[in-house]
Amino acid sequence: MTVAPLAGVIAVGIVAGLDLVSVPQAMLARPLVAGFLGGAVLGRPLAGLAVGALLELFAFETMPVGAARYPDWGPAAAAAGALAARRGGTWDPAWLLGVMVVALLAAWFGGLTMHLVRRMNGAQLRRRQAALEAGDPGALLALQLGGVARDVVRAGLLTAATFLIGGRVAEQVAAGWRAPRAVADIAVVGSAVGVAAWSAYRLFGRGPARRWLEVGAAAGILVVAGLLVW
Amino acid sequence: MPGYRTALVRLFTIQAAFSYERMLGVGFGFAAEPLLRELARRGDASGAEPGAAAAPRFRAALARQSRYFNAHPYLAALAVGAAARAEVEGEPPERIERLRAALTGPLGSLGDRLIWAGWLPACAAVGLLLVTLGAGGWAVAAFLLLYNALHLWLRAWGLKVGWRCGVDVAGALAAPVLQRALELVAPLAAVALGAALPAVLDWYPFAAHWELLAGAAAAGLFAVVAGAFQGRATGLVVAAAALTAVVAVGVLW
Repeated sequence: MTVAPLAGVIAVGIVAGLDLVSVPQAMLARPLVAGFLGGAVLGRPLAGLAVGALLELFAFETMPVGAARYPDWGPAAAAAGALAARRGGTWDPAWLLGVMVVALLAAWFGGLTMHLVRRMNGAQLRRRQAALEAGDPGALLALQLGGVARDVVRAGLLTAATFLIGGRVAEQVAAGWRAPRAVADIAVVGSAVGVAAWSAYRLFGRGPARRWLEVGAAAGILVVAGLLVW
Repeated sequence: MPGYRTALVRLFTIQAAFSYERMLGVGFGFAAEPLLRELARRGDASGAEPGAAAAPRFRAALARQSRYFNAHPYLAALAVGAAARAEVEGEPPERIERLRAALTGPLGSLGDRLIWAGWLPACAAVGLLLVTLGAGGWAVAAFLLLYNALHLWLRAWGLKVGWRCGVDVAGALAAPVLQRALELVAPLAAVALGAALPAVLDWYPFAAHWELLAGAAAAGLFAVVAGAFQGRATGLVVAAAALTAVVAVGVLW
């Protein structure tokens, strides 16, 4: 792989990584979007979208609430989407399973790196405490730019690492897979939809929105059952 | 409102320097600064010359607005507008600090319910549904447009209403449009998410119908397992561990 496509993937990962907290929180960091963009950089947006859609199911669980520690899906999904595009759009469940494992770990690790960036921002803040208390606009600008720069480096490294490691791991899993392909399919979909179902229950299953959740699920099940019978 | 556009653009970076010490405080001050320039332009009652950063009132206000603040990043716009207006109106510093502190909880709670637990899952579920219906890239576009319509409106509305109301901003939180949105968003998200999950099962390219049914059963089982680990591990961690185990089984088969 030449440098230009890799740089493109990293650029998408940086945009997605920045979006989560720093700027502009427009949900470019959601796996659905980041996966699509990662695939688009390597010429197959729909391959990236498919992986992004599966990761999106996991992302329902933890929303980016305040100071809570939450996963950073953007760089992970951008890299996973790009890997799916590089694979050529062929659907190999074992390969997909390998990519999903790496993407999940990358998203989790991304959350830790964000915590690190916040601590570094805090250290920078303490160094400029006097200027801040004096109401110096320059100090504010420097802190803002410093925070963005740290986030750029964080997201770029995370994307590159996920892309390079994820590619290796997925190829190894695909090459060494001996179980029936259905095992990988069921594991990937079962875990993704399972986490999303648990999240849906946590969000809406215990309040007045419960009946709406049941209505939606019933409608979805009826349509799928109808399609299966057809 | 002088400086409205610059302040609005800066609001998108309100979390850029997020730290555990001041949370959104630095970004809050950065966004409020264009609105506070009015103080620098006016000069100072103590006789200071008009001019950016020269007036003590401007500097004191900026220092105050850069202190600890935490709320939902979109709805923080309301607090930025209100606090800046209070500074320009010459409200006593203690009152402005009380205002900022008083807005933290309600804006955070409102944002969590309206956006993180409502609008975001609703839009993401609609996006997923569209993917399963074969909309491809249009699903992504629809998700972004739908989500950001409310996102952008909230920021622009918040800044404007905050500035208009100043220290009386608390009443804006009871605006009928917000209350109605709160009532509607959870049912909408619940229906969309409920419908999206079976649709994803149907969309996934299983080789046979029995695999789809097995996938649905595995999803149900996994939801129970994720629930059982609640408080000890997130679904993400449980899933990563489970899928790693499946990789090991599949390779050693």
